[in-house]
Amino acid sequence: MKTKKLLVLCLILIVAFSVSIFSKPLKIGFSQIGAESAWRTAETESMKATAEELGVDLKFSDAQGKQENQIKAIRSFIAQKVDGIILAPVVETGWEPVLREAKRAKIPVVLVDRGIKVSDPSLYVTLIASDFVFEGEEAGKWLVKKMNKKGNIVELQGTPGAAPAIDRKKGFASIIKKYPNMKIIKSQTGNFNRADGKQVMEAFLKAEGKKINAVYAHNDDMALGAIQAIEEAGMKPGKDIIVVSIDGVKGAFEAMVDGKLNCTVECNPLLGPLAFQAIKDALAGKKLKKWIKQNDEVFPMEVAEDVMPSRKY
Amino acid sequence: MAIKDLTRDLTKRIASSHIKWSLIIFFVILLFNFIFTPNFFHIEIKNGRFYGSIIDVFNRAAPVMLAAIGMTLVIATGGIDISVGSVMAISGSIAAVLIAKMDVPFWMVLCLPLVFSALLGAWNGLLVSYIGIQPIIATLILLVAGRGIAQLVTDGQIIVFEHPPFEFIAGGSLFGLHFPIIISFGVFLIILFLFKFTALGLFVESVGGNSEASKYCGINAGRIKLVVYIVSALCAGIAGLIAASNIKAADPNTSGDGLELNAILAVVIGGTSLNGGKYFLVGSVIGALIMQSLTTTILTMGVPVQVTLVVNAIVVLVVCLIQSKNFRDILAGIFKLDFRGLLRRMPLKGGNK
Amino acid sequence: MKLSFSINQKYLSIIATISVFVILYIVSCIVFEGFFSEMVFINFFIDNAFLGISAIGMTFVILSGGIDLSVGSVIAMTGVITATLVEQAHLDPLIVVPIALLSGSFLGLLMGCIIHFFDAPPFIVTLGGYFLARGIGQVISLESLPIYHPFFQFFIMEGIPIGDTVIIPYIVVIFLVLFVIAVYVAHYTRFGRNVYAIGGNIQSARLLGVPIGKTRVGVYTLNGFCSALAGIVYTMYTSGAWSLSGKGFELDVISAVVIGGTLLSGGVGFMAGTMFGVLISGIIQTFITFQGQLSSHWTRIVIGVLVFIFILLQRFFSSLPVSSKATRVTYASMREQAELTK
Repeated sequence: MKTKKLLVLCLILIVAFSVSIFSKPLKIGFSQIGAESAWRTAETESMKATAEELGVDLKFSDAQGKQENQIKAIRSFIAQKVDGIILAPVVETGWEPVLREAKRAKIPVVLVDRGIKVSDPSLYVTLIASDFVFEGEEAGKWLVKKMNKKGNIVELQGTPGAAPAIDRKKGFASIIKKYPNMKIIKSQTGNFNRADGKQVMEAFLKAEGKKINAVYAHNDDMALGAIQAIEEAGMKPGKDIIVVSIDGVKGAFEAMVDGKLNCTVECNPLLGPLAFQAIKDALAGKKLKKWIKQNDEVFPMEVAEDVMPSRKY
Repeated sequence: MAIKDLTRDLTKRIASSHIKWSLIIFFVILLFNFIFTPNFFHIEIKNGRFYGSIIDVFNRAAPVMLAAIGMTLVIATGGIDISVGSVMAISGSIAAVLIAKMDVPFWMVLCLPLVFSALLGAWNGLLVSYIGIQPIIATLILLVAGRGIAQLVTDGQIIVFEHPPFEFIAGGSLFGLHFPIIISFGVFLIILFLFKFTALGLFVESVGGNSEASKYCGINAGRIKLVVYIVSALCAGIAGLIAASNIKAADPNTSGDGLELNAILAVVIGGTSLNGGKYFLVGSVIGALIMQSLTTTILTMGVPVQVTLVVNAIVVLVVCLIQSKNFRDILAGIFKLDFRGLLRRMPLKGGNK
Repeated sequence: MKLSFSINQKYLSIIATISVFVILYIVSCIVFEGFFSEMVFINFFIDNAFLGISAIGMTFVILSGGIDLSVGSVIAMTGVITATLVEQAHLDPLIVVPIALLSGSFLGLLMGCIIHFFDAPPFIVTLGGYFLARGIGQVISLESLPIYHPFFQFFIMEGIPIGDTVIIPYIVVIFLVLFVIAVYVAHYTRFGRNVYAIGGNIQSARLLGVPIGKTRVGVYTLNGFCSALAGIVYTMYTSGAWSLSGKGFELDVISAVVIGGTLLSGGVGFMAGTMFGVLISGIIQTFITFQGQLSSHWTRIVIGVLVFIFILLQRFFSSLPVSSKATRVTYASMREQAELTK
C-alpha cells in the first residue's frame, strides 16, 4: 500500500520536475511539421541556433506531421501570450480560423518554407520560402540543355498530396512539354525517402531497362536511393543515366563529387535568421514584402568540389 | 524420413483452407503480371546473382516478412505489436552509428542492435504480461517513443556509412540469391521449427486460445507472452539491419514507417485470426509476398500515383472476400460452380472440409 | 486492495481514468503559468472536437468487439468531397453536408455488410476502407482545397458566449450534444445493450436472440456517420480539406478509446470513459506545447512516457486484475441482456 502511494507521488514529482520554466524577454513560438527528413532537421536547428544567438525564448512544438497538432500548438502559443509565431505549415489550407485568433490577439505570424491559401492576406506578416515551381523549372531547364532536347525521363515524386511534390512536378512538366522529343515515361512516388526511391527505381529499371536516359527526383534522398539501384543494375549513374534532384543537401554534393549525381537545385532550409528578423520588424511596425523569396541556385556536378566546403547543411 | 514427413506436413498445410486461398491469390497476381507485364518473369544474372522483377518481390518482401513472422506469434497469443516499425528504425540507427561513429568489431555491430531490440521486446512483454496493459496501448508507447529514441541515437540525421561486410546483409548474395531472401527464409525456418515442432508452439496457441485454461494446465502464460514479444522485436531488429544495409544509411525518420500495418495485414491475409489461438506462419509469409508483389506490380505497370490507393483497396477487399466461405458459396450459387467438387478432384489431399 | 467505501467494481476503471485526468490537470496548472484559464480549458474541447466525435463512434465499434481503421481516411474523403462541392460546384452547404454524411455512412454500411455477411475480419475490411477512402480523396484532388464559404466559418468563429471574451464554438456544441446522445444510446437503449452483448460473447448473444447482423452492420454504419461528421467538423475547424488529412488518426482514436477504459476485446467500457480518454490525449499535447523546450526527439519520448505514467496510475487506481474485472462486467451486461430478452 505504502509503496504504491510512494510510487504515485514519485511519478507526479517526476512530471513536475521534468518541466522547467524560463522567463526571458522575447517569447516566440515555432510550430514545426515534424522531423521527417534531414532537410527539416536542418531547418529546426537553424531556428534554435538563431533563437539562442538572439536570446529569444523559443517555444518549439513538433507536430509529428499532423495539421491538427500544429493548430493546437498555435492555440496554446496564443494562450501563452507569445510575442510572435513562426509557422512551417504542413499543408497550404486550413489556417484561416486559427490565424484569425492570432490576429485578434495581435500576434504577428511569419510563415516559413511554404505558402498558405487564405482569403485575407493580412493574416500573416510574410512568407519566407523557396519557390517549388521555380525549382522544378530550373531542374527541367538544366536537363533540357544536358540532354540536347531529347530523351526519356523517369520521375520520382514526393509524397502524393504534399505541396513540394505537386509544385516540383508542375514546374518540371511545364518545361519538358515544350520539347516533343523529351518524354516522362514513368512517374511514381518515392515518398521523399531513400528506401522507397531505390525500390521505385529498381522497378523502373526492370520495366524500361536501357530506355531510361535520365532520372528526375523531387528530393536528394530519393535520388541517392535511385543511384544505388542504378549501380546494382550494372549501370553507371551520372553517365549511363543522368540524375538530377532538388534540395542540395550534403549527401548530394558528396555524390556529385563522386560523379554519380549530375545536378541538384538548392532549396535552403536555413531560414532562422530571416524569420526572427521578420518578426522583429513586424513588432517594430515595419512593412514587409509578402514573399521573401530565397534565391535558389543550380549546382551542376562540375562546381560541386569548389562549393562543397561552404555548404552548411 | 524426416524430409518425407516435412513434405507431407507441408502438403497438408497447403491444403488447409486459409493458406490455400492466399496461395491462389498470390498466383493470380503473378499470372496477371505474366500476361500484362512483359519481362516480369525475365531473369538474368548480373554481378553474380539473379536479377529480375520476380526476384525483387522476394527481396523487397524481406522486412515485412520478418515482421509478419514475429507478429504472427504475438497475434497467436491474443496480443498485437504495433511497435515493430520503431524497433526497426532503432536497430538500423544503432548499427549505423556503431559503424560510422565508433570503432567496434563487426560482430558487435550485428549483436548490439539485436540485443537492444530484444530488450525493447522484453519491455513490451513486461507491460503486457506482468503489468497487464492492453497490448495495443503497451506497444503504442514504444511506437511513439521508439521513433524518438531512433532520432536521438542519430541526432535526427541520416547516418551514411561505407562498410562492405555490413553492406553484404542486403547487397550480398548466396547461391545467386539476394542475402535478405536467405535471411528471411532462414529466420522463417528457425521459427517454424521452434514453434511448430516443439511444445513452445502449443503453449503459444493455448495462451491465445484460452488464457485461463492454459493457466490450469500449468503453462506460464506471462513467460510465453514475454517470449513472443521478444521474438517479434528481434525480427523487427533484423529487418532494421537489412533496411540500413540496403540504403547504406540509417534513416531514423522514415525507416519502418507503417511497417506495423503491413505486417498485421500480411498475418491476417495469411489466415491467422486477430483473436488469437490458431496461427499460420506459412500463411503470413505468403501474405507478405502478396503485398510486395502488389507493390512491385503497381510500380512496374506505372499506375498513376493518385490511383494507387484505390487499387490497393480493391485488392485488399477482393482478398478478404475470396477468403470468406460465405462469399465463395454465393459466387458458386450464381455461376453454378461446384467449388468443392472441383477442389476434391484437385491433386491436393485434404480438400475443403 | 479493498476500498473502504463501496463502489460498484464496474465503475472502478472509469473513476481511475477521471482521477488520472484531474491529477495531470492540477499538476499542469501548478507547473505552467497560464495553463489554468478558461481559454486553455475550452481549447481542449475545440482542438479535440473531431477526435471526440470519431472516438464516440469508435467506442461502439470496439464495444461490439470490432475495430475500424478507416476513420482517418474517411475524414480526409468527406473533407475533400465537401470542399469540392462547395467551392467548385457551388452547391449550398445545406445540401453538401448531408451528402458528405451519407457518403461516410454508406462506406460504413458497406464495410459492416462485408464484415457481417461474409464473416470477414474487421481489420482487413476496414483497412480496405482505409485505402479506398483516402484513394477516393486523392482521385478527387491531390492538392489541398480551401473553403471560404461563411457557413463553415460560422461554426468555429461563433458560439455560446461565456464571460466577456470566451465563447464555446458551435463545433464543441455539436460534439457535446452527440456525446449526450451517445451515452443515452449506449447505456439506455436496446441497441446499446445489444452492442455490449455481442462484444462480450457473440455465441451467447446469438443464443439469447440478439439480432447480430442488424447490430454489427448498425455499429459500422454509425461509426461511418461519426467519422463523416468528424470530417465535416475538421473542415470547419480548419476551413480547408486535404487528401492527406487524418494520417495516423485511427491510432489516436483507438488509443483515446482504450485509454478511456474500453477493452479492445469488446464488451467492456463506458462512453464517459471515452470522453476522458479524449481529454487525456488532449492534455498530453497541450502539456508538450506549454513546455516548449523539447526537441523533436524528446517530444516523442515524453509523449510515450506520459502515456505510460497514465496507464500506470490508472492501473494503480483500479488496482484489480483486469481479467476478473472484465469477466464480471461482461457477465453483468449479459445478465441484463438475458432479463431484457425474456
